Amino acid sequence: MNDDIVLTVIGKLLIPFILLFALYVQFHGDFGPGGGFQAGVLFAAGIILYALTNGTAAAMRLIPPGLLAPLAALGVLLYGGVGVATMLLGRHFLNYSVLAQDAVHGQHYGILLIELGVGITVAAVMLLIFFAFTSRED
Amino acid sequence: MLAAAAVGILVVMALALVRAFRGPSICDRILAVNMIGTKTVLLIAVYGFLSGRPDFLDIAITYALINFVGVIAALKFIERIAASPPPTRPEEL
Repeated sequence: MNDDIVLTVIGKLLIPFILLFALYVQFHGDFGPGGGFQAGVLFAAGIILYALTNGTAAAMRLIPPGLLAPLAALGVLLYGGVGVATMLLGRHFLNYSVLAQDAVHGQHYGILLIELGVGITVAAVMLLIFFAFTSRED
Repeated sequence: MLAAAAVGILVVMALALVRAFRGPSICDRILAVNMIGTKTVLLIAVYGFLSGRPDFLDIAITYALINFVGVIAALKFIERIAASPPPTRPEEL
């Protein structure tokens, strides 16, 4: 694993840009192509590239697998929490218009929070699947 | 102009597909698949400009990154199969 110096260097160069691009897709999703799911997959792909170049053990030190299941649940909780919060504020489930003073700002905050929840859950679940496959030694 | 470029890219993709099917060694096939991925990135970019939506470039960048990670993963997999003694793999890779 440690003798592919080219792969390690290329990975080191590329991983920050993959993670940055994942954040761009995450927060630009309401203006262009993108959104939470794609951003989560890209973020997970960056970590998977780290696991492929530096070994799965190093990636598990970077992202402890015990943290992933709570993160996946946290994303769903964020999604549902926004919906319940709008219900408590007196509107329908996931009616974002009450989240801020005027409706447009409220819808902006609402979609950002929802997509953040989707992104966290997708990234965590993708990494869980990857770790489940790679740590299965036969 | 852009349409001609798109047709050219499609022809190159067809040629790479032939190599992926016929390639004698596994390295030929992996290289051909990687090349098809690269041409797909170009095709998405050209189609984006052809249809007047340059934000297709985001999708092209995404495809390039995922394609790179995918090829690395496939190569690692091949390497591990080649390194370990084949348990029961009758078909020649």
